[in-house]
Amino acid sequence: MANDLLLEIGTEELPASFVAKALEAMPELCTKLFEGARIEHGTMKAIGTPRRLTLIVEGVADAQRDISEEVLGPPKSVAFDAEGKPTKAGEGFAKKLGKGAADLRLVSTPKGEYAAVRRDEKGVRSAEVLPELLARLCATIPFQKSMRWGVGDYSFGRPVHWIVALHGESIIPVEFAGVKSGRTSRGHRFLSPANADIASVSQYTDTLRKVHVLADPAERRASMYKRLLEAAQMANAELIEDDFLMDECLSLVEEPHVVLGGFEESYLTLPEEVIVASMRGHQRYFALREPKTKRLLPLYLNVVNTANDPQTIRIGNDRVLRARLADARFFVEEDRKVSLSTRAEKLAGVVFQAKLGTVAEKASRIRTVAEALAKRANARADLALIGDAAALAKADLVSLIVGEFPELQGLMGRYYAIAEGRDARVADAIRDHYLPKGAYDVVPSDALAAFIGTADRADTLIGCFGVGLVPSGSADPFALRRAALAIVRIALEGPCDIHVLATIDDAYNAYAAMDKKLAPLSDIRPKLDEFFRARLKAFYADKYAGDGVDACLAAWDGGSLRDLDARMKALAAFRTRPEFEALAIAFKRSYNIAKDAPAGDVDPKLLQDEAEKILAETFRRNRPAIEAHTKKGEYEAALSIVAKELRGPIDRFFETVFVMVDDTNVRDNRLRLLASIANTITQIAHFHVLTTQQTP
Amino acid sequence: MTFQEIIFALSKFWADRGCLLVQPYNSEVGAGTFNPNTFLRTLGPEPWNVAYVEPSRRPTDGRYGENPNRTQQFHQFQVILKPSPLEIQELYLDSLRALGTDPNKHDIRFVEDDWESPTLGAWGLGWQVWLDGQEISQFTYFQQCGGIDCKPISGELTYGVERIAMYLQDVDNMFDMEWANGIRYGEITKRSEWEWSTYNFERADVALHLSLFDSYETQCKALLGLSDERAKGGGLIFADADPLKRLVLPAYDCVIKCSHYFNVLDARGAISVTERQRYIGRVRLIARACAESYLAQREALGFPLLKQSSSRVNATAP
Repeated sequence: MANDLLLEIGTEELPASFVAKALEAMPELCTKLFEGARIEHGTMKAIGTPRRLTLIVEGVADAQRDISEEVLGPPKSVAFDAEGKPTKAGEGFAKKLGKGAADLRLVSTPKGEYAAVRRDEKGVRSAEVLPELLARLCATIPFQKSMRWGVGDYSFGRPVHWIVALHGESIIPVEFAGVKSGRTSRGHRFLSPANADIASVSQYTDTLRKVHVLADPAERRASMYKRLLEAAQMANAELIEDDFLMDECLSLVEEPHVVLGGFEESYLTLPEEVIVASMRGHQRYFALREPKTKRLLPLYLNVVNTANDPQTIRIGNDRVLRARLADARFFVEEDRKVSLSTRAEKLAGVVFQAKLGTVAEKASRIRTVAEALAKRANARADLALIGDAAALAKADLVSLIVGEFPELQGLMGRYYAIAEGRDARVADAIRDHYLPKGAYDVVPSDALAAFIGTADRADTLIGCFGVGLVPSGSADPFALRRAALAIVRIALEGPCDIHVLATIDDAYNAYAAMDKKLAPLSDIRPKLDEFFRARLKAFYADKYAGDGVDACLAAWDGGSLRDLDARMKALAAFRTRPEFEALAIAFKRSYNIAKDAPAGDVDPKLLQDEAEKILAETFRRNRPAIEAHTKKGEYEAALSIVAKELRGPIDRFFETVFVMVDDTNVRDNRLRLLASIANTITQIAHFHVLTTQQTP
Repeated sequence: MTFQEIIFALSKFWADRGCLLVQPYNSEVGAGTFNPNTFLRTLGPEPWNVAYVEPSRRPTDGRYGENPNRTQQFHQFQVILKPSPLEIQELYLDSLRALGTDPNKHDIRFVEDDWESPTLGAWGLGWQVWLDGQEISQFTYFQQCGGIDCKPISGELTYGVERIAMYLQDVDNMFDMEWANGIRYGEITKRSEWEWSTYNFERADVALHLSLFDSYETQCKALLGLSDERAKGGGLIFADADPLKRLVLPAYDCVIKCSHYFNVLDARGAISVTERQRYIGRVRLIARACAESYLAQREALGFPLLKQSSSRVNATAP
């Protein structure tokens, strides 16, 4: 027989992150405990609200599993002495299993005779072990920070007020944190403060729903979303969706209600992002926009726990928001009293990193590196703007509004730059040099922003590597991995190519010109080269086969990122051709055999077999074109010739020609032929690291 | 409800439930937590239920009386319930009812907000309480004070009296709120806000404050007999092992002074980022020395308040 099990721990309001983590941990902890106690069970589900953590386990057996087994111990020679009497080791083994020396017996196994003990244990009723197990479960739920309360010696995420523990319809008597379990749960703190008895596990969520608690977060989320959409529709508005707010609001309520509020239209002269940030960050309101024009409306939606009197709630919230927006307007007005260039002077007082100097110094290095990038990309026209863009890119970090809302960095700089009549591209670069902000974000579309953004990240990378702040394991406090990946994406998806090692050198020289003490370039350069290669490998991992990525990276010189990308694309295309498998095997063989080839050119006079003559001649004829394409980075074209022209001759060569003949002159000549082919191909990608179906 | 009626109502509410009603401390504090009735009394096993108003000074928050929501001085209504009763949240909600606020008509939320005072070496877990989106109280379970684990745990309720008054009177500007008898808050505090803001930001003598900080720190150590040496595990060493020989309360006043002078220097822009941590560390050290000495003293006295029979607050008024 089996019955469902319910454990509800009722608490004071738990922080959102606590609930999420606890609900994630509970099934795992419980599975382990049940396994150890030999209690069979079905599916587990953890649900909860700010005031309760609940675990529901289906089909929990009424009794422990019986044990009936033979436990093998030490070999006979260890467990028994010469006279056949149990030794200390033998007795110890029996004792460990709760048995005596008399219970020891001998069993034969393929490895010889061993001591063994027979264990037959009848499982006890689950009711006897569950109280202790559930108490232990309660005590082991992890929290980022646990607290004590009152006079107790126990700790939990927040004080515990009640525990419901049921197995089917029966109460499991659990005692934890000074609370004894029962079947009495509690309703919504304000809407239904009375107790609610849970008749059986299956009635749990229904019973709570009646007392205004949606215990299942999925149901609560759906209900909240529906109410938000309805409220938006009633206001003739479109909801600006926001996952962060959804999570936050979900964790603040047991039953979601939505109240519409608003603010004076005069605040709409503020940048929309400032208004949204004020509502979102401080008050957790959802913003609304006009469905057609998409412009922000002077309205908001507030997810609340109780809405008996929406008008009263609205008046209070409107007033709070008014004060917030007044603050924001004050900050923006104050900020605008000082020009961005004057504000940027304050960056001399902001530390970028203790050993790497101030943000003002960083801005000056960004300029140097960005100019080098522009020159290399032949973007002469951008050079004139780089000075301004670099000087102003970080100025808004010392503005009042960014001090209040750090997430508005860049955006406010752009806003102030436009307001003071700066060049539109400079203004955009102030905002867009932070792009991409994450793996799914877009890269800057304008070259100016791309140069500044790349220079900024290269500066951070070189600086941190130069003072030993290298990421290790999951610790990457300066987000260097993300910075390297951003450079890769800017080069490949943005307006211009980037040369990795050259940029590293430029960034290093910019530090050197400021007399910053970094480790020597000869130390940093290979480390960063390796660091970038590791990022590239990860970046390409979900696009191309791993061995192909390795083959291209090995052939790449650490320079142009677009060159690397061209190799990846060409190789991937090549791999879909029917000739690929045979050629790859042939190249691998060539490479392996020709590793020991003596230096020198192929001597046509020493070619004997028809097949090697054809191969040598075909290769001689096509080599200039293959190498010319390779040099220009036209890898597809190069590989296309290889596929069309070399496949037949090279196949025939390996079918009919024996390379390692006794005549050393002939042998060396054949090795030289294969070596020259292998060398040409390896310029494109290291075919010898590719996986092929057959081994050569 | 006027500003002063709120103070009456809260005082009566908590006095009726068994709290000792005491008066504000007579030295400059940044929050009610600095008052020895909180900082020292939450240490050790003795029960302690107390309520008081604390005019609190935050020099950096001064706005010359021009910002409708920010001032360099404001009033906290502070309640300490030690040990924290299990029904503390309900008691708190009842106190809102006493202010005429029906929790069922409003949106009341307990929003995670952990509290830490680096200068006091104190921290706790709890919430800000939101009333219709407005933060009106801080609610903290003290876990550590002066670097010492609290046992039992005290519950600290801190009401922002101005915020609540603005809410109840439905005014947007703090200075328009009624203190009592038709007298506005601004009529009493506006000039003082301007004078103190000017003093804190522009006029306070930096050299004087630096030297006052040093002097009070020295005085504090002398009153406690605190040695500059440390025991092997980092423990504090006092010249006299007998805690009753130390003048803990005057020493703790020195801590309050140091903390205040630090705040003025901070507002004055006289402390750099790197120095900041050092100053905070210096205050924390003497705060810890006071906490340890106070606890040792109470122990030497046999924890006298343990003998009090009324160790618990009442859930309802008598």
